Amino acid sequence: MLYVINMQTEQFNVRLSTELLKDLEIVSKLLKVNRSEWIKTKLAEDLNEEKTRLLMELGNLYTRGMITKKEVEILVGKKIADRIESVSFTAKKSIEAGKKYGKNLKRELHI
Amino acid sequence: MEKILKENFIFDTSAFISLESIYLLRDIIKLFNIITTNSVVKELENFAKHEDKNGKIAKRVLKFKNKFNIQKSKIKELIEFLEQTDNELYNLSLNKRFPLITDDHKLNYHTKHKIILYFSTFFLITFISAGLISKKESLEKLEKLRDIRNWENNIIYLTTKKELEKLI
Repeated sequence: MLYVINMQTEQFNVRLSTELLKDLEIVSKLLKVNRSEWIKTKLAEDLNEEKTRLLMELGNLYTRGMITKKEVEILVGKKIADRIESVSFTAKKSIEAGKKYGKNLKRELHI
Repeated sequence: MEKILKENFIFDTSAFISLESIYLLRDIIKLFNIITTNSVVKELENFAKHEDKNGKIAKRVLKFKNKFNIQKSKIKELIEFLEQTDNELYNLSLNKRFPLITDDHKLNYHTKHKIILYFSTFFLITFISAGLISKKESLEKLEKLRDIRNWENNIIYLTTKKELEKLI
């Protein structure tokens, strides 16, 4: 199945050192890929990995009560702060409900 | 184990996949009524076409298909950020007032405070509280549920692990 994704783009200019550009030239020639495309792919891979790692750290701190929602909001914005709060809230609610259902189930199973 | 409580729960695709990945679905079906929709079954069938990890789990889930209570759901209240399948499950939960089990963070976020919604870890806590599985076994299953590539899933893992360690 072929999926066509329309991605919005924005121009972002970066100055690279001559040395780095030479290396990029070698890599792109050896791999027979376009320089820009190779940079975009690598950047997307690394960025996604780093973003996940940092958000995991943030989630760790929030779960341990070492950082508040307000502080998360200041660091990464309201959208992610709301998501962290929402997941944490449902995770706790699932535990409380699970305990209640489990106790009832235990009683029923022993009747 | 016999079906005693017959409590009703609505499952989405992620709930089926998560709970079968830790081999808990068979016991859940024995104890509870599991309601779902045809759209979820179709999603599972699409997963099952592939030979990857989720595809293999979906195949195992579909072996229990005749034990599911498959219901139709009319969409009376549409949440625009959600897919058709998720809107069906949301409306089913809203109308029947049965808890929806999902590990889909988007579904959780957009239905917040509108329906009763639990993550699949709910059943791990239920089973350990009922004395059906040991603390060690539940921690091992929780470890398997952890998705290290998903930061939201990691919050569920950490919150549940903290609680499991306190239990018993």
